[in-house]
Amino acid sequence: MHRLPKEVGSWIYNFFYDEHSIAYLKIDAELCVAAKGGNVKHYGLSSLRIGQPVADQLEFMEGLLPSPELPYHMAMVELPSGRVADLHLFADSAYVWLLFLDATVERDNRQRLQQKAYEMTLLQERERQLNEKLQSVNEALRESQEGLQREYQRAETLLLNILPASIAERLKADEQIADNHAEVSVLFADIVGFTERARSVGAVTTLAILNYFFKAADRLSERYGCEKIKTIGDCVMVVAGLPAARSDHAEALARYALELRKAVKRERFTGGRLRLRIGIHSGPIVAGVIGKRRFAYDLWGETVNLAARIQTSAEPDEIRISDATHTLLGPNFACEPLAETELRGTGRVRMWRLPA
Amino acid sequence: MLQKKICMLGGFGVGKTSLVRRFVQSIFSETYLTTVGVKIDKKSVALPGKTVDLILWDLAGEDDIGSFRVSHVRGATGLVLVVDGTRAATLAAALTLRERVEAEFGTMPFVLLFNKSDLADRWAISDGDINELRQLGWQIYLTSALSGEHVDDAFRQLASMVAR
Repeated sequence: MHRLPKEVGSWIYNFFYDEHSIAYLKIDAELCVAAKGGNVKHYGLSSLRIGQPVADQLEFMEGLLPSPELPYHMAMVELPSGRVADLHLFADSAYVWLLFLDATVERDNRQRLQQKAYEMTLLQERERQLNEKLQSVNEALRESQEGLQREYQRAETLLLNILPASIAERLKADEQIADNHAEVSVLFADIVGFTERARSVGAVTTLAILNYFFKAADRLSERYGCEKIKTIGDCVMVVAGLPAARSDHAEALARYALELRKAVKRERFTGGRLRLRIGIHSGPIVAGVIGKRRFAYDLWGETVNLAARIQTSAEPDEIRISDATHTLLGPNFACEPLAETELRGTGRVRMWRLPA
Repeated sequence: MLQKKICMLGGFGVGKTSLVRRFVQSIFSETYLTTVGVKIDKKSVALPGKTVDLILWDLAGEDDIGSFRVSHVRGATGLVLVVDGTRAATLAAALTLRERVEAEFGTMPFVLLFNKSDLADRWAISDGDINELRQLGWQIYLTSALSGEHVDDAFRQLASMVAR
């Protein structure tokens, strides 16, 4: 024991007793209350009966005794009575002592501090969660924007494949498209004996032939400023003077026809080289877009019909043009005149042959 | 008299005190008041053929699990493990606490509560994780101390397990 003057010892004892409302229980080997003392009232222990099991009268003692780890200290226990106590259990040779020391003030102080700390931690955790969520939402937004952009570009590319650029623009602006064009030239070209050939060479070669033919038609469209309007089976329909008018549409299409014939001649396929029948006619047409979900830009009018008939009447490897086209071409092309021919639905027609 | 000590275990702020208040007094407070030390409550549960008094030890949820006083669990016959469903890390905390308790006192019956089920939009635990634990045969409840959902069920389940 530290040596303190008895005045100090007594002061400390009184101070401690007043501040901490000391009470005690003495518990015997049968775990019954053997004695009680101190400020028992403070902890609601007044009615505790001597000789009765402690755990039946103090619920928190349930299961605690006998304990191999005495002395044992439980800090800041809030009892059902509402009192907060530091509980000390210690043993002598015959009894276990249970000491109650009021710890309400200490608990409240500690709680204020702890509360601040935990609230801060919870806020930080919440902030982190929200940031993570924000990031993932942003990420998803960016991805869907990129996806949308890709879709848009794909749609645009598809549209441009189907329609002339200026028409596609107008279509996107929700315009109805049906335009009169006074002066255009229309070409049809198809492969001689395609159906028979397709039957004999099989699907793969047939596709290769069509692919080659149509790719050449596309490529040359770009070069000569013509528009490939559509393909019908093995037949392509090409127009010059559309959608922007041009005075040399007949010449452009004539050059196109010559190149197309040349390109097709160059390539060899199973079943021999390809031969085309080509027909051209010039005149007014109506051009427009029909359909809402699946667009088709197409041409209508007598000019179109006659061009098709001329093409059908052409010989293999021949580029046959109408009189109207011939007039427009002028002297730059030394065309051979053909005998007037009866064409279905049109009567007798003067036509010319474009030379090699 | 059938009297059983039950310990509430889990990280801080998961809702141990709120669950006890909901179960014992049928009330809920939005205000978070951290528990320091230990709070002791008692609730009688009527089971078929008997009544068991649950002595609920609401132990402070430590920020640092290492500082948890395992010795407070002495004499307990069952555990209520509490997880905050909106904070995934609290699951690991609850499981660690259980391991520490079992290392000291051996296995004992427990129920596992994923609390704050009312905060669905902030839920952070996957159904897969919960199902995986259910596969172990664990008694698992999605509780809300706020609405009271499944709170009684969970405590009654544990009561019947410890009263056996």
